[in-house]
Amino acid sequence: MLILYSITFLIASFNLPKANLGNPNAPMYFPAGLSIFMLLFSLIYFIQELKNLDKDNEYIRQIITGRTPKLIGFTILFGVVYAFVFNILGFLVSTVLYLGALLFYINGRKKWLVNIVVTLSFSIISWYAFSELLGVSLP
Amino acid sequence: MDINSFMDGLSIALQPVNIMWIVIGGFLGTVVGMLPGLGPATAVAVLIPITFSMNPVSAIILMAAIYYGAMYGGSRSSILLNTPGDGSAIAATFDGYPMAQKGQAGPALAISAVASFIGGIMAVFGFLFLAEPLANFALKFGPAEYFLLMLLTLSAIVALSVGKMVKGFLAMMIGLALATVGIDTQTGVYRFTMGIPHFSDGIDFLIVIIGVYAIGEVLYNFLNIDQQKKEKKKVGKVWFSKDQWKRSKWPIIRSGPIGFLIGVLPGAGGTIASMIGYTTQKQLAKNPEEYGEGAVEGLAAPESSNNAASVGAMIPLLTMGIPGSGTTAVMLGALIMLGLRPGPLLFEQQPDTVWALINSMFIGNIALVIINILLVGLLVKILDTPAKVLYPIIVLLAFIGTYTLSYSTIDFFLLLIFGVFGLFMKVLDFPIAPLVLALIVGADMEQNFRMAVLSSSGSLGIFFSSGVSIALMILTILSLCYPLIIKLVNKKRNNKNSAEEKFTKTS
Repeated sequence: MLILYSITFLIASFNLPKANLGNPNAPMYFPAGLSIFMLLFSLIYFIQELKNLDKDNEYIRQIITGRTPKLIGFTILFGVVYAFVFNILGFLVSTVLYLGALLFYINGRKKWLVNIVVTLSFSIISWYAFSELLGVSLP
Repeated sequence: MDINSFMDGLSIALQPVNIMWIVIGGFLGTVVGMLPGLGPATAVAVLIPITFSMNPVSAIILMAAIYYGAMYGGSRSSILLNTPGDGSAIAATFDGYPMAQKGQAGPALAISAVASFIGGIMAVFGFLFLAEPLANFALKFGPAEYFLLMLLTLSAIVALSVGKMVKGFLAMMIGLALATVGIDTQTGVYRFTMGIPHFSDGIDFLIVIIGVYAIGEVLYNFLNIDQQKKEKKKVGKVWFSKDQWKRSKWPIIRSGPIGFLIGVLPGAGGTIASMIGYTTQKQLAKNPEEYGEGAVEGLAAPESSNNAASVGAMIPLLTMGIPGSGTTAVMLGALIMLGLRPGPLLFEQQPDTVWALINSMFIGNIALVIINILLVGLLVKILDTPAKVLYPIIVLLAFIGTYTLSYSTIDFFLLLIFGVFGLFMKVLDFPIAPLVLALIVGADMEQNFRMAVLSSSGSLGIFFSSGVSIALMILTILSLCYPLIIKLVNKKRNNKNSAEEKFTKTS
């Protein structure tokens, strides 16, 4: 519920600085007009949500309970790491690491054989398909 | 219709390499479309990078094949697992899943494939006759008309997110706002780049699309990843009886044109088409009480109309460059990447491409019906692959796809940001299609608006100056009133449904 509240607030406040941004003359009109409408609708949304505050959003509960926050968090965290090591370690190694990490985390350690087979085969096939067949240059 | 260009197109579509792409695209589309929670938009978004090194004709053929492959695939998981791949496959769960529970999974799969096939083929014929006149009509459009047409499309797609219109508008406006990032093409002014040089070309909408559709959907599916049910279904013989065919024949033929016309409308699309196909069929039926219990007509009708709609949706995309749905918006993005500029001129400048695409749709539908009937065993096995293995692969494909766009890892961060953004949109029940659509047409929309205003030296009167623009204006306003109409209809229907429920409970 709090999250819902803060996100609506975030959307609404996001619009405020937008309205002042932009440059004089022509390029400004469209974004400015847009942000006025945006502000208007976020206010409507905000008011709408205020009315529904007591109603619990089931999905939001799901997102903060159990394994879900960890799953989402780690997927993103691993993704950030992937972005950093991609150019350093090269496509093949970093992909093996990322996919392997994801699979071990999501699919569980017990299914290690499946994880390893999928990781290696996917990485190699995708590397071959993109760099050899499709001519995409990968680091 | 020009017979020569038709034959030229046919010969291009029949080139072995293009047939190969049709089959591969259809198969891949079917597989991704089958995964619960992942629909055609995701399928096209994730598979876009494959097309980059191809020539534009093969690329558009492949993308179209992925698109309707995903439409076929979406109904596989509806029938077998009761979890539709996307909105347009929801109607297939109503009677398809009950049929599967009764041990008729095989016939259900077969009839849905054949219905999709017939619906698709009927729609291709419609395409053949409607596309060119529409393109010629659109040639007369000026910037004012284009701006209004885009406005109509956007308002229609928002209006169709019934019950969450405010959220739809917000999503649309976020999309439009994202589209303004980068150098302004008319004045060279930097806008909203936050001083990051990487943003000066704007935010690549494909990254947003891949982020929202692929990463966002996967993250969203994490919410209940541990509860996803596993059901083994015996499929049995994948064919239907003569009686079943007799019962579905007319529903299929009736629903095809309905679906096609709905697909052509801006903002509508597979979901609406299949729902309307289903309800029309139910209203016409002599045995409405069987619907929802596994009536074969109730499966055949929406399957035919949703596939017809997916072909119909290509018409506004190709003739006016205006996508009517989330998936076609994604395709438009990819086409622009490939240097093809869909719009009325496409038919004049590149008739080969257009006719090759139209012909490839015939071939593709034939290929898909074969894939879906012969390879049903393999497809069911893929459906058995644990989601926990497939989701990481989708994530990886999204990363690779992003990398091929600009060879920059900065985009990985954008991808993740938009993935999380997509997740929150899903969780808070914001419709995604308006965002994507607005993002893609946003830049054009602003330019057209400004050109229109410039050409009339600053007066807004230009938007009321022609018959077409006034008609578009009226349609836009009407489309915004559409939710009110739907509300009334739904109220009526709900009353009827609850009455029916009472009836079935007492009887």
